[in-house]
Amino acid sequence: MPHSRSLLRVASHLGPGVDSAEDLVQETLLRAWRGYDRFEPDTNVRAWLFRILFNVFYSGWRRSRKHPVFVPLEHGASVPFGRSRVAANDAVAVVEAVESLSEEHRTVVLLGIVEGFTCRELAGILSIPIGTVMSRLSRARQALRERLAPQRAETSHSQASHLLAEREVSELR
Amino acid sequence: MNCAEVRKLAPLYITAELDAARAAEFDAHLKVCPACMQELQRQARLDARVREALVAEGIDAVRMDRLVRKRIAADEKSRSVPARSAGRLAAGAAAIAAVVLLAIVGYRELPRVPRVYADAAFDHQLEIVQQQPRAWLTSAAEIEALAGQQGISPSAVAALSSGAYRLVRGKLCFLDRQIYLHLVLSDGTQEVSVYLRRSDGVPLSGPVREVANGRLVCTSDISREHLASFETPQLVALIVSDQSAEAALKAARFAATVL
Repeated sequence: MPHSRSLLRVASHLGPGVDSAEDLVQETLLRAWRGYDRFEPDTNVRAWLFRILFNVFYSGWRRSRKHPVFVPLEHGASVPFGRSRVAANDAVAVVEAVESLSEEHRTVVLLGIVEGFTCRELAGILSIPIGTVMSRLSRARQALRERLAPQRAETSHSQASHLLAEREVSELR
Repeated sequence: MNCAEVRKLAPLYITAELDAARAAEFDAHLKVCPACMQELQRQARLDARVREALVAEGIDAVRMDRLVRKRIAADEKSRSVPARSAGRLAAGAAAIAAVVLLAIVGYRELPRVPRVYADAAFDHQLEIVQQQPRAWLTSAAEIEALAGQQGISPSAVAALSSGAYRLVRGKLCFLDRQIYLHLVLSDGTQEVSVYLRRSDGVPLSGPVREVANGRLVCTSDISREHLASFETPQLVALIVSDQSAEAALKAARFAATVL
């Protein structure tokens, strides 16, 4: 299914609100299938699926404090949140930085930066004003930058950027 | 537009959601404000780094997809259950459910092209067709140095200015929130855009048209623009022509051969 990996990627970093990312995405796709008649043609089906995912996530997160919501998987254990990764050290540091963000900031990073949704699409998925999306994105980027500041790569990038900016300005003169 | 407004509107600028007038004001500010330019470029690099790290994670959805299909089949079965031929109907329901689910989550994906294609088409339309004023570099040496700063071999740029094509100008741009080197090549009669960035291991997807020099060349038409793309182990390349699909493909064949 074309969108299930994206849904699973985001779900696996949402946090400890649900038992497992796979259960959350299963429930999302099942609800999408049951509610397909509510999908508006010529709108973004991917954004629609993510909107369902967050509806499930938020409702499940609230209810799960009282009783379990999701049906257990039939075989084997569920994939724990964001722990099935094989990545280089820098990638691990970046993932850990993302996971250390607040839920609000982590959500806009996952949807806006990783999954490539526009600010307007983000506003629709999360049911928040676009201005809130913009400010959360800006603060999330700033927080990520602070967490990753000691990384050598970012420092060298910024030096290169500075040289580039200098070049562009000098060209105008 | 001042620095505070630029900082506030940066999220919309990066996602190309600003209207043309405000985007032009934003561009104008960047040209005269190295601090904002630097900030935006750092932001783009951070975004690319985050995206690369998270996309590289091993996500295996095969088992989950199978479980979802089973649950949908069971759901369908529970809605219309004839007791006698339950087995046959269950199989039928599973097949129907799979088709319906694919229709839900899949069919719109089939004609979908990566956002970077749409951004490249839009960028070409603005900068090459409409010739909106931009700060281009025209010296080959300067363009090659700019390429080097982006991790692109200067010799790759030099190689593109050979044979039937001549490098006319170049600059940096944002496509799908990543920095690309935008080169304009001319064959003497028409100009094509070549967008290059260092490969981050995340493949571009698109309908494959042919293989050129061992590279899979994908093509797409977006609005009035014709695109072709391919990847090498080091580079991602997108070619845009406003003249014809054949012109884009011809330039892609050439670039795939020399890069």
